[in-house]
Amino acid sequence: MAYEIVVLTNMAIAVLFALSLNVITGFCGQVSLGHAAFLGIGAYTSAMLSKEGVPLIITFIPAMGMAALIGLIVGVASLRVRHDFLAITTMGVVFLFTGIVRKQEILGGEIGIAGIPAPDFGRVGLFATSLLCVLAYLLLTIWIRRSWTGFAFDSIAEDEDTARLLGINVPKFKLFAFVVGTAGAGLAGALYAHQVRFIGPDSFGFVESISVLAMVIVGGIGSIWGVILAAAFLSALPQFFQVIDDYKLLVYGLLLFGAMRFAPEGIDGLLKKIVRRRAVK
Amino acid sequence: MKKYLKTIMLSGILAFGGTVVPAVADNIKIGFNVPLTGFAAADGQSALHGAELAVKQVNGSGGVNGKMLELVVYDDQASPKESAPLAVKMITKDGVVAGISGSYSGATRAAATIFAEAKVPYISAYAIHPDITRAGDYVFRTSFMGEVQGRAGAKLIGEMLGKKRVVMVTLNNDFGKSLAAGFKEQAKNFGVSVLAEYDYSIKDREFGPIISKIKADKPDAIYASGYFFTAGPMVSQIRAAGLSQPIIGQEGYDSQKFIEIAGKASEGVMITTSLDRDSSSPETKDFISGFAKKAGYPADMVAASGHTALLVVADALKRAGSNDAAALRDAISKTSLSASTGKISFNALGEVQKDVQVQVVKGGNWHHHSVISDAVLLAPPSK
Amino acid sequence: MLFFDLCIQGVIQGAIYALIALGLTLVYGLLRILHVAHAALFTLGGYIGVIVTNGSGSFLLALFTSMLIVAVVGMSSYTIIYKPLLNRAPLISLIASIGIFIASEELFRIFFGAYGLSYINPPLQGQIEILSGVSLSHARILVVVLAIGLLSGVGWLAINTRVGIAARATVIDPQMAASSGINVEIIRYGSFFIGSAFAGAAGVMVSLLNNLVEPTMGAVPSYKALAIIVLGGLGNVRGALVASLALGIIESFGTIYVGHLLDRDSIAFAFLIMVLMVRPQGLLARG
Repeated sequence: MAYEIVVLTNMAIAVLFALSLNVITGFCGQVSLGHAAFLGIGAYTSAMLSKEGVPLIITFIPAMGMAALIGLIVGVASLRVRHDFLAITTMGVVFLFTGIVRKQEILGGEIGIAGIPAPDFGRVGLFATSLLCVLAYLLLTIWIRRSWTGFAFDSIAEDEDTARLLGINVPKFKLFAFVVGTAGAGLAGALYAHQVRFIGPDSFGFVESISVLAMVIVGGIGSIWGVILAAAFLSALPQFFQVIDDYKLLVYGLLLFGAMRFAPEGIDGLLKKIVRRRAVK
Repeated sequence: MKKYLKTIMLSGILAFGGTVVPAVADNIKIGFNVPLTGFAAADGQSALHGAELAVKQVNGSGGVNGKMLELVVYDDQASPKESAPLAVKMITKDGVVAGISGSYSGATRAAATIFAEAKVPYISAYAIHPDITRAGDYVFRTSFMGEVQGRAGAKLIGEMLGKKRVVMVTLNNDFGKSLAAGFKEQAKNFGVSVLAEYDYSIKDREFGPIISKIKADKPDAIYASGYFFTAGPMVSQIRAAGLSQPIIGQEGYDSQKFIEIAGKASEGVMITTSLDRDSSSPETKDFISGFAKKAGYPADMVAASGHTALLVVADALKRAGSNDAAALRDAISKTSLSASTGKISFNALGEVQKDVQVQVVKGGNWHHHSVISDAVLLAPPSK
Repeated sequence: MLFFDLCIQGVIQGAIYALIALGLTLVYGLLRILHVAHAALFTLGGYIGVIVTNGSGSFLLALFTSMLIVAVVGMSSYTIIYKPLLNRAPLISLIASIGIFIASEELFRIFFGAYGLSYINPPLQGQIEILSGVSLSHARILVVVLAIGLLSGVGWLAINTRVGIAARATVIDPQMAASSGINVEIIRYGSFFIGSAFAGAAGVMVSLLNNLVEPTMGAVPSYKALAIIVLGGLGNVRGALVASLALGIIESFGTIYVGHLLDRDSIAFAFLIMVLMVRPQGLLARG
């Protein structure tokens, strides 16, 4: 069972990470190509604290706090840019993050941080913890979706200028989305650090940012359940595909293309289509 | 909905159903995580060829303790996120008696923790991260640490070549950084002064600005870390800019592909490495000819390292006489083996102790230049 | 002396960036999509360059073949990837494009090997001393000459021909252009043709400067070129060229003087973010 537990934990962490981007990109319509930076901030914060003897659960708070703080700063800066300019600015953020971490001896520099202690509660415990974190975050996002905030997010995603005319405080809601989203990524990072137990700058780069964005888009922008399915599936893909070794990434690339080409509304759109067809019959 | 549930279930079966190829129960299984797709695929392929050659050689001469060796190979894309679950899979699903990493540092470091805690021996073939062997008693490394090679580089430049004013061009990753640390630590002892150090990223292939600056620095020699795919373009651009100072590299250059890329500019480039092409030892000769036949291209350091790591396990299995993990670990730690990369033994930490080979490009091929066998200088850290 | 040398190195890098970024900014201007797969065309150009040169012995032939084939492949990328997704959110095209880019990197590896290819006898290796103490290889000079030639050719087309005027009109207002009888599809195909051909040329030149094409050669251009067209003010051709040159020179000086603090990519993106904070629409606003 140990292997299944590890793979399932990986999936849970990916789901949490994707749900956190879904708040920013899915709900609020702010495209981020740099979300892995916040996974990294959470991972580094948690890893360094737990190496000092702080229990994993306690490190969740500073990990989320640090990610959300930097997320807030990035959010404030991002208010100046829109659409594709915003997307590329966030991409810059992830390059700056890895670039800075690489040169900081205190963060392990190029060598990274090894020997992150195993959580006291073992592999199954870590899986259960990850699952609880996913559940808590899931409830939070469902609540946001259904609240007035979710409505405001929708209108910002739809058309920012109209939202402003309607009297919605656009900057406030955008910043809220950034804070909630980056805090979620920070939490995912804390779990990641204790799952893999080795972190280095290369684990939180542009490629990671792209793959989490792909999860959100393949799931169906803004759809909670679609994103969960997509994240679980795409994150476990490299492990599934050990059978086809040499063609693994080729299949992954074609899968992304195929999903967009033939199901541009993502898993969410597919599910809805099926439900509708049933209803007609 | 049903259709998707089915897909998901099917994928689940694929994921957890384990390997499709039915394994013969009697074989001794050795795990091998290696990058076969993505950016590190070239090195992964070489390392795998090397290890497969070793398996063929061992099985060809009767196997180990009456049984055949079998490699259990997984692609880790050189990513720690992938290698960690694979390590668990090798140990719990496949029941490997030992694991070998034919992968890069991050992936190796993450898997090492899991092997160490499961008390299954694990050997890093060529990953150089300093903390790999610190994962625990069960982890060994058959290649040099970056620091050790950096020290050898300082001796080569300062003492053997007598060049005192050096510019360093350092690759920005754990490999380049630990080489640089070793080089700088010993530079003074060999009278070498480092005029300047320039960093570059593993993605860079264009070194124009750095070379312009080196030209202005007027050094006696250039100590440049890198892999064949960065060093090839770098060396050819250095020579194209009219600089003729000696260039000293390391095992990352150690591939025929380096010479192919840099062409005539590669003539005279020296490296510190662990494979001697002109070796008179039968193990090395066998390996070099066997590898070229199997892979279809000349052997390189990575291939020799994969080969050596597997032979170390096979040799220890013979001496342990059983597959018992603790006995195997003890046997590995007492290794004294002549392999393709020289005479191998380990220190208390599990770091290899062997001579550094200096190779030079002559007439479009790597050739023997000298050997550095200063046990004190080359002593790896022991804790 | 070092100052001039670094400027020249920056201009060479800027010329390569400009050749790659042109296609990307043309596509953005017409379709509002970030064409990441453009970087795969750049790599393809490099492969064709090496293979044709090694096979025929003629570098010039290789350069033309490469530009032509890559241009045709580029046009088909419009048909295959973007045309069916025109009415979708731009993010959908972006992910589809990234998928194709990842898949093509793997295809290059599977077809041509993980080690990449090199020129057997690299052409244009002779040296010219352009200033005392600063000499450049013919290949490096050709990069700059080629970039200036090709880009001014396009500039001339855009200003002086009917097709060029139609293209510019389409960028400014596609609906208006269509209703005044311009065939918007032809303009799109034409832009993909020219942009891809230039990327192919850049691929050939880079493969020559490095004497190496690898499957991952497009990895850096895939994101750096996006940064460049954003810096230039998305869809603004002149802006993209200015940004290419600026980034080339900044990276050139940056690697030497702040290289111990930040790597090349981070220097480029730090510059990008600083510019966008002051000018959120990029260096030159859309025109």
